[in-house]
Amino acid sequence: MSATAIRSETAIRFDQVSKGFGETMALDDVSLDVPRGAFVTVIGSSGCGKTTLLKTVNALVVPDEGHVLVNGRDTAEADPIELRRSIGYAIQGSVLFPHLTVERNIAFVPSLLNKKDTRRTADAVDKWMEIVGLPASLKDRYPSELSGGQEQRVGIARALAASPDILLMDEPFSAVDEITRATLQDEIRAVHERTGITVLFVTHDIDEALDLGDAVLVMESGHAVQYAPPHEVLAHPATPFVEHLVTRKQRVYARA
Amino acid sequence: MISDMFSLLAVRSSWFGELLAQHIAISFLSIALAGIIGLSLGIAIAAWRRGARPVLALVNFVYTIPSIALFGFLIPVTGVGNVTAVVALTVYALLPMVRNTYTGIVNIDPRVIEAARGMGATERQLLYRVELPLAAPVIMSGIRNMATMTIALAGIASFIGAGGLGVAIYRGITTNNLAMTLAGSVLIAVLAIVVDALLGLVEKRLRRPFAAAEKARGPRRQRTGGAQGRGTHETPSRRVRSWSRRGVVVVGAIAVVVAFAAGAAALVRGGSLRPEGERLPGGNAGDGPNSGALSKGDGSAGTIQVATKPMTEQYILGEMLKTLVEHDTDLAVELTQGVGGGVANIQPALMKGDFDLYPEYTGTGWNEVLKHDDTYDESRFDELRSQYEDDLELTWLGMYGFNNTYGLAVSSDVAERFDLSTYSDLAQVADQLRLGAEPDFFDRQDGYPGLSQAYGMSFGTTMDMDIGLKYQALFGGQVDAIVVFTTDGQLAEDGIVVLKDDRGFYPSYLCGNVVRLDTLEAHPELRTELEKLEGLISDDDMARMNHAVESEGREPKDVADEFLAERGLL
Repeated sequence: MSATAIRSETAIRFDQVSKGFGETMALDDVSLDVPRGAFVTVIGSSGCGKTTLLKTVNALVVPDEGHVLVNGRDTAEADPIELRRSIGYAIQGSVLFPHLTVERNIAFVPSLLNKKDTRRTADAVDKWMEIVGLPASLKDRYPSELSGGQEQRVGIARALAASPDILLMDEPFSAVDEITRATLQDEIRAVHERTGITVLFVTHDIDEALDLGDAVLVMESGHAVQYAPPHEVLAHPATPFVEHLVTRKQRVYARA
Repeated sequence: MISDMFSLLAVRSSWFGELLAQHIAISFLSIALAGIIGLSLGIAIAAWRRGARPVLALVNFVYTIPSIALFGFLIPVTGVGNVTAVVALTVYALLPMVRNTYTGIVNIDPRVIEAARGMGATERQLLYRVELPLAAPVIMSGIRNMATMTIALAGIASFIGAGGLGVAIYRGITTNNLAMTLAGSVLIAVLAIVVDALLGLVEKRLRRPFAAAEKARGPRRQRTGGAQGRGTHETPSRRVRSWSRRGVVVVGAIAVVVAFAAGAAALVRGGSLRPEGERLPGGNAGDGPNSGALSKGDGSAGTIQVATKPMTEQYILGEMLKTLVEHDTDLAVELTQGVGGGVANIQPALMKGDFDLYPEYTGTGWNEVLKHDDTYDESRFDELRSQYEDDLELTWLGMYGFNNTYGLAVSSDVAERFDLSTYSDLAQVADQLRLGAEPDFFDRQDGYPGLSQAYGMSFGTTMDMDIGLKYQALFGGQVDAIVVFTTDGQLAEDGIVVLKDDRGFYPSYLCGNVVRLDTLEAHPELRTELEKLEGLISDDDMARMNHAVESEGREPKDVADEFLAERGLL
């Protein structure tokens, strides 16, 4: 486990958060703290509420009950625009803006923030392209001209370009092949180590969850059923669902 | 025909140039207005989805209103002229604009929108930085469709007294000058193609970011063209095909305009004589570059606004009035030639004071303006005039002398063979003869049924035929008798005899000028001029002048001036 996980300062606090969509409860009384600098992976089957949980952090989803505190501040009271600009957001399949070049995609948030300061924006773009391993020659390309892996990297760089201290990632690597994914996982781990950013990372891939997270949050039908370091989850799966996921994983290891 | 067209374009290049400039002004203004309004509406309903259905249904509905009817609705509100044209064209152009803007925005991948929102874009930033740029190619193709359509449709706008190249088309049709019609059509087509090509370049630029993806998906039919990948070369054959496809669309659009013009011309031509006022508004052409500019001149001696119906003889009368009045007085005359819909649109404008006078036919005034149901004859002229003066503050002045009514004509062979000179003569032998007339003649109570009743006339064979074809049919011997208007230019030709309506079945349609009383008061010298026209033109004179314009291709103005000079009025 990385040293950052034991830091006590809380970056995100979920306090008895519930959210329903019609009949179904996407989040049901979820309470947990994400320490500053932690890399928390959220695992669960589709529809378990993990994406909803993520979206309550940047106020794309407003809880019906309970509070989400980001850096000690209730998101319900914060200006959502300001809040979102201070949080990196990378979503499934990266979803770049198809009409913008790589450079302008990455510069999207900085350009929303400091319209005048193009110099600083350009520097941020250069810096983040380098960190996520994108050659500068790709700057003027459009997303449609990139490979899958390059797109994901741009997506990460874009989420990080305004130097947020929290990064939300919603299955960012689900659309790429295994090899590319492994590389990207290494990249994001490196970014995390280098910047000390707090990461909340949603995935449906147990390998990814266990490999990347220094804490794993297991969700099932809106409930946070287990929130523990990976080895703990592996050793003592809290529910049959987690056990099922983990056994498969253990079988894979056994075969290896 | 083609060389006629080019020589006409060369000879009257400045006239066509002015029409082209007007056409550009009218259509571009409409395009700009529709662009702004349509874009705003599209954005609004994309944001407020519940409004989408009713708004789209509404613009869709408006789009399906026949243009001739839309003009009809607008004329009482905005009058005749450029304003109405721009309003109508804008309203039509809204549909492609609203629909494409809406579709373009709504079809954006919702995850892209959420990504932008999640990264802290405000609603405004979302719209300007993400939604509009992403919808731009779709919006642009909407603009392209709309622009081509508006440029073509602006040809019809001249039917309600607006300027533009439709003036040439319609004038060509009304005065049987095919080269002029063709020249107007070709210029519209060229304008549409050029604008479309320019917009196509813009669209291609806008599609550039998406080009690689579309290329990757392989070649597929592009409804709107454009979208070629960076660095890929369009093969010449593809280019030709896409061009020819666009060409077909544009030529098709022009064909519709011309067909419409021809139809409207026929309608108004026939309709201007009809007792009941069921005629649709529409059809026309202004005359010169000033047509449609209905503003009153404010020259020191004053300007008389003269309107005419879209009929060859009225074009000639208009020129005659202008020449005579301007020759003898200090008054200026501004002509709005060939106002679409004839009296239905001229009368309201006359009442409003947009026009001061126009040539009208007594029977039409009686039935359509005064709304009497019974048949008019000239014994009631004093009644007609006093009702005009008392109820409308208009009067009749300067009765030209000719009567443009329905008539029956036979070929001179037939006339000789059966010794025909009156309708009664014709009734005796009708069962051995073939009659050709416009389809509606056979249905109208004042047409064939009434005629049969009045004269006991029953033809052996009756044939429906287009207004333009019946003379050919008569001269070609396919029919023996046809229904004519008594001043038709073709009557001046040899080989045709107009029979006498000996029982006075048809209403009388003597031609005279309807003038505003206050205009006569303000310019007493006008009365003197109009009185000079009294009894000046016989049926034969009018037919001969119509013939000179329609068959000999002479200018209405030249024919009018020559006639005035002949009668010693110049």
